[in-house]
Amino acid sequence: MDAPKLLRIADGAELVAVRTELFKTCKIHVSIALPLAGDIAAKAVLPYILRRSCRRYPDFTSLNGHLDTLYGATLGAAVSKLGEAQLLQLSVGAIDDRFVPDGSSVAAEAAELLTQLLFEPKLENGTFCQSDVEIEKRLLLQRMQAEDDDKRTYARRRCEEVMCENEPYGKNRYGTAQEIESLTPERVYAAWREVLETARIRFVLVNSGEPDTAFSLLQAQFAGVERRVCDIRTQFIPSADTVRYARETQALMQGTLVMGFRCGMTREDDMDPALSVMADIFGGGTYSRLFSVVREKMSLCYFCAARLNRQKGVMLVFSGIETENEEKTREAILAQLHEIQNGAIAQDTLDTSVRSLRDTIRGYTDSPDVLCAWYGSQILNGTAKTPAQRIAEIETVTLPQVQKAAEAVTLDTVFMLAGTGEENHD
Amino acid sequence: MIDKIYSDAMLGESYREIKHPSGLTIRVLHKDGYKSSYALFATKYGSIDTKIAQPDGTFRTIPEGTAHFLEHKLFESEDLDAFERFAKTGANANAFTSFDMTAYLFQCTDRFSENLEILLDFVQSPYFTEETVQKEQGIIGQEIRMYRDSAEWEVEFNLLRALYHQHPVRIDIAGTEQTIAGITADLLYGCYRNFYDLHNMVLAVAGKATAEEVLAAADKMLKPASGKAAVREFVPEPPAPAQTEIVERMPVNVPLFALGYKEAIDTPERTAKQSLATTILLDAIAGRSSALYKKLLEEGLINTGFSPQYFYGFGYANCEFSGESADPYRAAEEIRKAVADIRKTGIDAEAFERARRKRYGRTVMNYNDVDAVAHEMAESYFAGADLFETARICRELTLDDVNARLGEILDDSTAALSVILPKDGKDE
Repeated sequence: MDAPKLLRIADGAELVAVRTELFKTCKIHVSIALPLAGDIAAKAVLPYILRRSCRRYPDFTSLNGHLDTLYGATLGAAVSKLGEAQLLQLSVGAIDDRFVPDGSSVAAEAAELLTQLLFEPKLENGTFCQSDVEIEKRLLLQRMQAEDDDKRTYARRRCEEVMCENEPYGKNRYGTAQEIESLTPERVYAAWREVLETARIRFVLVNSGEPDTAFSLLQAQFAGVERRVCDIRTQFIPSADTVRYARETQALMQGTLVMGFRCGMTREDDMDPALSVMADIFGGGTYSRLFSVVREKMSLCYFCAARLNRQKGVMLVFSGIETENEEKTREAILAQLHEIQNGAIAQDTLDTSVRSLRDTIRGYTDSPDVLCAWYGSQILNGTAKTPAQRIAEIETVTLPQVQKAAEAVTLDTVFMLAGTGEENHD
Repeated sequence: MIDKIYSDAMLGESYREIKHPSGLTIRVLHKDGYKSSYALFATKYGSIDTKIAQPDGTFRTIPEGTAHFLEHKLFESEDLDAFERFAKTGANANAFTSFDMTAYLFQCTDRFSENLEILLDFVQSPYFTEETVQKEQGIIGQEIRMYRDSAEWEVEFNLLRALYHQHPVRIDIAGTEQTIAGITADLLYGCYRNFYDLHNMVLAVAGKATAEEVLAAADKMLKPASGKAAVREFVPEPPAPAQTEIVERMPVNVPLFALGYKEAIDTPERTAKQSLATTILLDAIAGRSSALYKKLLEEGLINTGFSPQYFYGFGYANCEFSGESADPYRAAEEIRKAVADIRKTGIDAEAFERARRKRYGRTVMNYNDVDAVAHEMAESYFAGADLFETARICRELTLDDVNARLGEILDDSTAALSVILPKDGKDE
């Protein structure tokens, strides 16, 4: 696999090209970053509207029929948060021409399709189609509601909302239900123009050929757009003064406990990579404190894990428990953190974590999807750091650094989704 | 030792299948240039195996959820448990129990041989005590509760409970808190002896590792097995569903539905061709480029999570259409109507070719992922097929094949509906 090429397409728009013959596929992925502010709902619906159709394939059925004919080309859309950026994503994947039975060319067409979806949407009278917008409004609302039906996702989201209620991060990445319901084609059109003119945009191409064709195609599309790139900043709150507590009860058999921590960070690279390693020792793999003590030794739960969100400087710990064990579990989780803060971690534990992280990150180059996500997630930094470079950084972490990173961690919010403990069946 | 190489030039892949003297079958697909290796050590023992064959030909019943419980317990040993051993190598290890298999696996980019030795060792070294069995009941109890709170899980199992009268596919994979309370160390040893014979197992490895590395570890670690593959009981099911509808209320915002058509079968296993023809058929009927999908989406009856699937295994097979819907009953009615119409006319050549190409492309894409390849090697082995059979058949399948298959399945009298409706009010 060649080193990735980072090519500038236009102001604030770039292409990361990874050339490799390892895969059966050609994959092109675009990340679009905007401030988590303004008309969030209109921006959130946009990737789904763009995924529906384009000028050349003007309805959902013809576009999907075309994808099928291209040997099951895939088309993905997603909305997420990256720190306090709203991140919109679109991707197209297809089998590489080397594996097409009838010898036709599929890969080039797939890459071209992504640019068509982004730059040449289906418009009517200079705006998006009312009926398309109506369908996607409904789907976005349902997507938002259905995510809450997954109780673990719901509990984590609620914890973040409570914790960050006075920060942009506390906003839902889809906007509010009212904002979605009131969407109009004009607002979606304005969001589309905002994306083309102001968003930070990063394409990632993973394929077996040179990126020249895709690059020229993208450059030509951007030549017609006047760019004034937006500024994206994230508010970091280094520590919590008091612990907030929120609780809800639903008719569930199991409770979900989520604990939100501030990590002493003032910017994304604070205590990097020590904090990442600390979070892994605390609640990463099966060797972590939370798995080996809270699950295995204390039998309190089936899952108990910690995830660091470096882009926002927070860490969430979550666990599915008997509701009556809430306090016991909270204490057990905090006791594990205190151990790390008190330096009760052996070199062997650090080595285990570094070994595991190294092993996992090294494997990132074996998947086009993971590579797209890896390089896409560096959009705000403007870097194209390779997995190998990340491993080299992680290998420098020392025990005192881990302890220092842990010392900076403070508990901000506890959210308990309590279950009634009874069968749901009626 | 029988050693055979299987290749598929169109896919650009080949793998070795070795019948090891110990009794174990080993499949290795080496991928040049990859950094990861993925190893899966699996036994043909899943949640549907609720009975053990006795020497006199009868079957003895064991508690529901035993296969899954055994999976959890096998990680333990007298000294270091398997997770602790993998922590020393940096590999990412896991295990799962499905309806028809239990598998132990790891993925690594370093120290492959050492990892494989650990895998082969701990799966061959059962260690159960009453104390450790009891400790696990708490952890698994929470796992069971986690799934019971999942509406997606419930809608699926309720459908299986509606479709099947007695086939154990209708029970929860992990059992219930009541059934697992009856599990003892002795019982686990008995199940282990019956189902973990190497003749009943497969080792599938995909990625950076070579067959030579795999064989070296196998020669060193495998203990020759004298037994044979475990016997499964084939219990024929009546063609009609046990119930035509199951409705449950849960604290959800969006209702869920699963409409299933039970297939009448007189042999326990489906062939690769039957499975592929069915999958293509379902995609032609209800995939994203179908007229039915368009209608349901435009009328607000589904969202983009809607999809059809062919669900089958030893002694069970059904076609399912599932998703979220504001009006699950109307969605199901529209699907039933469309399916009945298509059964009269057959699917057209264009829809077939789109679905066939899509299926072929997705099969090719799977070869990117070492985990997908290893899983497919194990599953196809247990189904008595070679890995490349699906791709091969997909290149050759015709419209006539698929329309002939349509006549065998999707009869409206075999349908059952499972629905999850919101409870009134979220907070109680």
